[in-house]
Amino acid sequence: MRCNKITELLDLYIDCELAEETRARVDRHLLRCSECAFEVRSLEQTRALLRDAFPSAESSPAFREKMAARLLEEFADQLRPEPIRSEGQWSLPFLRENA
Amino acid sequence: MPPRSDTYHETRLVERFRQGDANALSTLFEMYVDRVFGYARHILGSREDAEEVVGEAFLRAFRRAADYRGDAPFHGWLFGITRNLCWDRLRQPRLLTLPVDVAEVVENDEPARAALQADVRRALAALPEDQRDVLVLCDIEGWDASEVSNILGRSLAATKSLLYRARRALRHGLTESWKEEEQA
Repeated sequence: MRCNKITELLDLYIDCELAEETRARVDRHLLRCSECAFEVRSLEQTRALLRDAFPSAESSPAFREKMAARLLEEFADQLRPEPIRSEGQWSLPFLRENA
Repeated sequence: MPPRSDTYHETRLVERFRQGDANALSTLFEMYVDRVFGYARHILGSREDAEEVVGEAFLRAFRRAADYRGDAPFHGWLFGITRNLCWDRLRQPRLLTLPVDVAEVVENDEPARAALQADVRRALAALPEDQRDVLVLCDIEGWDASEVSNILGRSLAATKSLLYRARRALRHGLTESWKEEEQA
C-alpha cells in the first residue's frame, strides 16, 4: 500500500473502523514508513490530549432533582398522577408510587 | 444519544408523555440529561451556563413534544435546541467573560499538565463552530458518527470528513501555538 492510500485510511484506522485485513495492511505499512507512523501517532496524541483537557462532565444531582421537579410543575396541567395503562400492559407498583 | 434500537423506546415514551404519563417525562429527562449536559459544558466552559442552557432546552423540547404530532425524534429536537442555545450564548457580548482556559479549570495539581490542558482548550475554542461541535461530540463525548450526522443534519460521509478536518485543524492549532512559544 502506498502512502497516499494510507493517508486516506488513517482516521478509520485510529477509530478502529477498518476491516481486519485492511488494518493488517496498514499495520505493515506503518512498520516501515516513519512518516505515516508519525502521522498516526500525532493524530492519536491530539485526541488523547483533547480527552484529557475535557474530562467527563455529569450534571449534579441537585440540578437533576431541581430540573425534574420544574418539568413536572411546568407540565402539571397535561400530566396525570397515574401512568396510563393500555390494554395488556401492567402498571408496576413502583411506577405508581413514583408517579 | 441513543443507539438506533432505542429510538422505538423513545417514541413510546414521547407518546406516553403526550397521554399525560409523568413517569415518561421523568424517564426521558434522565435518559438524556447527562449527554446533553456534557456537550453544553464542554462548549460553554461553565457548569452554571450549561445547567441554564440544558434546563431551557428540556423545557422547549417537551413543549414541542406536547404540541407536535409527527414522529420526529425527541433527542434530535433536544440536541438541536441545546446547540442553538449554546452558540447563541457564546455569541452574546457579556459584561464579564472568562477566558476559556480559566473558565474550565480542571482541578489539577500538576502545573505542566494543567498548562497543556489550557493549550488544548484554547486551540479548540479557536476552531469554527461546526468543527468544535463534531470534536466535542465524537472525540470527547464518544457519540457514534452516524448519530452525530443525524443530529447535525449532514450525511455520514460529510460528518466524518468534517471530523477528520477538525482533528487536523486542532493539531495544527496546537503545534503552531507551541512553535510560537518556543520562538518567544
